[in-house]
Amino acid sequence: MARGLRRCPTDSGVSMFVGTVSPSGVPAGCRAIGAVSGDELATLTVYVPMATSHEVLANIAATRRLAVVATYPPDHSTVQVKGTTTGVRLAADAEEAIVRERLESFADSLDVIGIPRRVTRAINHWPVFAIDLKIEEIFEQTPGPKAGTPIR
Amino acid sequence: MTRLGDLSRCFQGVVPCVVVTSDARGVPNVTYVSQVYLVDEEHVALSCQFFNKTRRNLDENPRAFVEVMEPLTLQTWRLRLRFLRSEKSGPLFDKMALRIEAIASHTGMAGVFKLIAADVFHVESFEKNEGFLVDGPPDAGEQISVDGLRSEVRGLQYVSEQINRAECLEALLEAVLDALDKYFGFEHTMVLLPEDNGTRLVTMASRGYGESGVGAEVAMGEGLIGTVAREKRLLRISGLDSEMRYGRTIRRESGSVAPEVPLPGLPDAQSALVIPLAISGRLIGVIAAEDRDPLRFGEWHEAYLEIIANQIALGIDRMFEREHDDDVVAVTQSSAPAAGGSSARRTVTYYKNDDCVFIDGEYLIRNVPGRILWKLLRDWDREGRTEFSNRELRLDPSLGLPAIKDNLESRLILLRRRLDEKCPELRLVPTARGRFALQVEGRVELVER
Repeated sequence: MARGLRRCPTDSGVSMFVGTVSPSGVPAGCRAIGAVSGDELATLTVYVPMATSHEVLANIAATRRLAVVATYPPDHSTVQVKGTTTGVRLAADAEEAIVRERLESFADSLDVIGIPRRVTRAINHWPVFAIDLKIEEIFEQTPGPKAGTPIR
Repeated sequence: MTRLGDLSRCFQGVVPCVVVTSDARGVPNVTYVSQVYLVDEEHVALSCQFFNKTRRNLDENPRAFVEVMEPLTLQTWRLRLRFLRSEKSGPLFDKMALRIEAIASHTGMAGVFKLIAADVFHVESFEKNEGFLVDGPPDAGEQISVDGLRSEVRGLQYVSEQINRAECLEALLEAVLDALDKYFGFEHTMVLLPEDNGTRLVTMASRGYGESGVGAEVAMGEGLIGTVAREKRLLRISGLDSEMRYGRTIRRESGSVAPEVPLPGLPDAQSALVIPLAISGRLIGVIAAEDRDPLRFGEWHEAYLEIIANQIALGIDRMFEREHDDDVVAVTQSSAPAAGGSSARRTVTYYKNDDCVFIDGEYLIRNVPGRILWKLLRDWDREGRTEFSNRELRLDPSLGLPAIKDNLESRLILLRRRLDEKCPELRLVPTARGRFALQVEGRVELVER
């Protein structure tokens, strides 16, 4: 995990959502299944289902702006990262294992708060697009007076 | 065609919702919110508790995207919104604030965790998020509201009949809880009445909690029940566990050390419906229902229970008035079995500084009912008296009963029930209209401290 963060978008078990805005200022978003980073959150690859992400992809094709929020449902600890998209591609077969693991760990954390795993496993999670992002800002987003405080 | 109202389960706060906004420069912002409030078929509202980025963005760009989730199936729906206004008072603000204040009070965050404004949005369009689930959502079951519609009129009739038929407060309260169980399927319910000049509420009747419910107390303004009593407004919370976790998170983030108020009923309640009983702004009592099902209480319950609550409040108030007019019998036949044999030995200790009575070192009752019990036992011990009247209790200045609306009947009910539970060797048994007997089995030692 990157330094100074209580919660990280690459954590297992988090609920993730990506937000975008069209050139005319209309926001849109979709759920993400997971994310990976090999450089302490200098960059991030976030996976969004092909079935539900067409509006998000259209927006980032035009604006390249992306916000990603990750929250851990049992304790609401939350982080938001913002940045510029550097590439979008269909995820490779080799990435399917990480996507499946993230959905399974998300099912585990929802199970803790009473939502059965079988329900969560019905979320469409493959194929996915991989959105590569250069992170420019990181914010503490846990509900409370410090929500919105820049971390980096 | 799907109406917004058809998605009511998405708006009950069981699963957090997501809001996407953007600033004037086109930088998106995503945040989770604990609940989106359904205002009507064309409007929703978000609670503004902190002046956060979402709130600032809306001033720059009024468009917002919200995704809500059906908690039983996880099917998501997308709402395209336009921000209209912030309401800082009025019915919508009051309703949203009550919920937040109740959770805040429960989690020890009263005054810190509060509603600043109800942000109202026009719903420009909404659609099902097609393809989000692999096979589409399973049938979540719609029978809850259908059952409700079928029995609501009968429930109203039944409650009215029972209230009119009840001869004493105890019978009325029992009938109310019976009706809520029979016609609304509420298995865990309690009725609390104000005590101590309205500074606290005491559970007078309960159902579905075993023996431990009666006598449980809640301070005015504290927790879900105390907040409803203070504000005199109905509160329905679904996904209670989720709401509490949200409140606890803010409590942790704020560094608060105020203690959490324990829920008086089910330790694992997932939903709660708390109904104030009031007449012309005067609090008569509170009915609280809980359930382990996070979606147990629906919108239709609110509407019908508010009607029923009015009738119950009038019924209880009439009972108090009647009690004063004719000294109606204040205690009914005890339901507790007779004490077995006379060999039991009990020590009753009265702490005069705080009017508390303990039986063998275990708390029994306090304040006016405690003083009444101590008077009865002293008279029995000194003079051998066993027969008493409501009138003499009213005239005894040492008991401190108010001249009007003394709630003597409710205090005697509470005392009798606590004795049934904690000390069956002492019983209050009606003998005639406005009269009752103190029955003592075994040896009783009286200690005053």
